[in-house]
Amino acid sequence: MRRYIAKRLLHSLVVVWIVATVVFAVVRAIPGDPVQLMLGGDATQEAREQLRTQLGLDEPIYVQYARWMGRLAQGDLGESLSTGVPVLELLIQVGQPTVSIGLLGMLIALSIAIPAGLISALHQYEWDDYVATFIAFLGISMPGFWVGILLIVFISQRFEFLPAFGYVGPGEGIRAWFSHIILPAIAVGVPYGGIIMRMMRSSMLEVMNEDYMRTARAKGLSPQLIVMKHAFQNALIPVVTIAGILLGTLLGGVVAVEIVFGIQGLGRLLINSVHQRDFPVVQGSIVIIAVIFVLTNLLVDLLYTVLNPKIKYGDGGES
Amino acid sequence: MSNPMLEIENLHVEFETEDESVQAVDGISFEIHPGEVYGIVGESGSGKSVTALSIMALLDSNANVTADRVRFDGTDLLSKTDSEMRSIRGGEISMIFQDPMNSLNPVITVGEQIAEVVRHHGDVNESTNLVQEMRRKYVTGTSADSASWRRAVELLETVGIPDPETRAQEYPHQLSGGMRQRVMIAQALAGDPSLILADEPTTALDVSIEAQILNQLLDLRDEFGVSVLLITHDLGVVRETCDRVAVMYAGELMEKAAVEELFEDPQHPYTRGLMQSIPRLTDDREMLDVIEGSVPNLAAKPPGCPFQDRCAWAFEACTQPLEEHEVDPGHDVACHLHREDIPEELGEWNSPTAVRTDGGDDR
Ligand SMILES: Nc1ncnc2c1ncn2[C@@H]1O[C@H](COP(=O)(O)OP(=O)(O)OP(=O)(O)O)[C@@H](O)[C@H]1O
Ligand code: SF4
Ligand SMILES: [Mg+2]
Repeated sequence: MRRYIAKRLLHSLVVVWIVATVVFAVVRAIPGDPVQLMLGGDATQEAREQLRTQLGLDEPIYVQYARWMGRLAQGDLGESLSTGVPVLELLIQVGQPTVSIGLLGMLIALSIAIPAGLISALHQYEWDDYVATFIAFLGISMPGFWVGILLIVFISQRFEFLPAFGYVGPGEGIRAWFSHIILPAIAVGVPYGGIIMRMMRSSMLEVMNEDYMRTARAKGLSPQLIVMKHAFQNALIPVVTIAGILLGTLLGGVVAVEIVFGIQGLGRLLINSVHQRDFPVVQGSIVIIAVIFVLTNLLVDLLYTVLNPKIKYGDGGES
Repeated sequence: MSNPMLEIENLHVEFETEDESVQAVDGISFEIHPGEVYGIVGESGSGKSVTALSIMALLDSNANVTADRVRFDGTDLLSKTDSEMRSIRGGEISMIFQDPMNSLNPVITVGEQIAEVVRHHGDVNESTNLVQEMRRKYVTGTSADSASWRRAVELLETVGIPDPETRAQEYPHQLSGGMRQRVMIAQALAGDPSLILADEPTTALDVSIEAQILNQLLDLRDEFGVSVLLITHDLGVVRETCDRVAVMYAGELMEKAAVEELFEDPQHPYTRGLMQSIPRLTDDREMLDVIEGSVPNLAAKPPGCPFQDRCAWAFEACTQPLEEHEVDPGHDVACHLHREDIPEELGEWNSPTAVRTDGGDDR
């Protein structure tokens, strides 16, 4: 197991490196010059050259790449071209709302969708199944930012304590923090939860038809025990896989929802820095997103081994 | 003779599907005595599993079960409530299923799968409420010191699993097919049953393992005196293991007899057809006599004998309702050839060499 984790971390490192390299190349391939954008149209040729040298942009690409990689290897993401602020500092600032909203959204979605899917499956074709299914499909068919707009119009307008705008860190009061992230979290959680609910329902229905469920009934166990002990974990196995894969979509949802709620998050930072061709910030944001991705995937895979005894990652096994 | 362990009289099982109703079991009667191994043999789809599941009240909700009598150890099973049935299932009556891979839960250790039966039906005095069971499953695991776990290990040893302490900790996928079937048997024994319903317990296994498992079952019968209902489609298995046997066809029992008698003197055209389709090692015939034609559609069975379309001896009376004829004590045959008033030219059907050449289509 330990070897497996070490191996996976090594793989993750390679993935992050590839992503970093690609983003390095791509941001430079977008037309537009950061210096031009910073100084405006009427700056002299001389001033531009000077700034270019100062920022190290006059050096050959491979030197810039090597320098960036060298710093990246030490965990240094460089500084913003336009403001000179360390990229890591910027990311920590904007990462806070993004991560809070993403995690809370996921938590809300899972804690509603999994029980709902379970109940729906057990009550197949009864009214509660229809209601849950209807809500799930409604959720799946609405992107997060649209749910966000609806929440602003119908909830935030009515309840003053649920603001439609901005973000407040937990340092300034848990309550204020929570009231600012709850609506965006619901907005990202709705489409995510809808899919999870449907997955849980169909997975549960499948499990209930398995031969081992008949065995469990033949043992004279109570219906509750049969569901919770013999079916639940089996049904969860495919759901965990999907929940993990969908985390990427969830993160995308957060970026859009943050914009709707006027929150300075990772999404806003990324978009602004692309506009300004602020290479280090774009690169740093993407690298951080890649790191979050590979780590959550690793976590999901580890959770998967706990749920499914058939999967044991040993030496040379799964890659 | 002692009181029967299980008495079934005129059992019907009908499945309501969207556009038709299927008569899966159509008025069967039999009884099993204490310590007896009773076989039900029949082709695929003849209703063997449905019979067993209806005794356990484990059929889907679209099944409509009726009977004049289903008595187990002197008590009526049909009038039992759900919760009364739960205390019987896995306890006094247990079941072994065909496919040992899919019949064991992949995410529970085999030890726990046996131990939970001990806790529910044995006298180990360990709580089986939902909270305790969930704690065992998801938090602490089953304690290896608990009485139920020790009993599970003991049972694994009884059914011939080497190194049972270690095996008990393993999951089904870590065991071979034969071992998994032994686990199923251990699980069926864990509630100390008086009757085991074994539904094709060896079909998924290869021949040498099959023999071992069947011997194991017989040993257990000798040791614990349990009765066994052994369901199979293999007459060879019946001959090796059963005391008495019923031949099932399209939801009905065609012939019931002691095993030796059935093999020596089959009295039903269908039974004879089955016997001729057993491959014989001493035989150098390449082709087996397989009965021509196919099983009737259970949603639209013809009136009378269900075998009439495939039977070489069918005659006018065969469309009338079947009755059981006792040809010898304990040997019942449901076939009109055993009536007094059969047409003269059919009289010699019973001679060992009788072959009907005109195809029997003169109805
Ligand atoms: N839930 C159900 N709904 C409708 N029909 C069913 C249902 N369960 C079983 N049947 C039908 O009942 C008939 C008998 O099935 P059963 O499983 O008892 O056969 P079997 O003798 O056990 O065959 P096999 O040797 O293949 O196990 C089949 O025709 C089957 O299609
Ligand atoms: S002779 Fe008639 S009753 Fe007897 S098996 Fe043939 S068809 Fe059925
Ligand atoms: Mg069957």
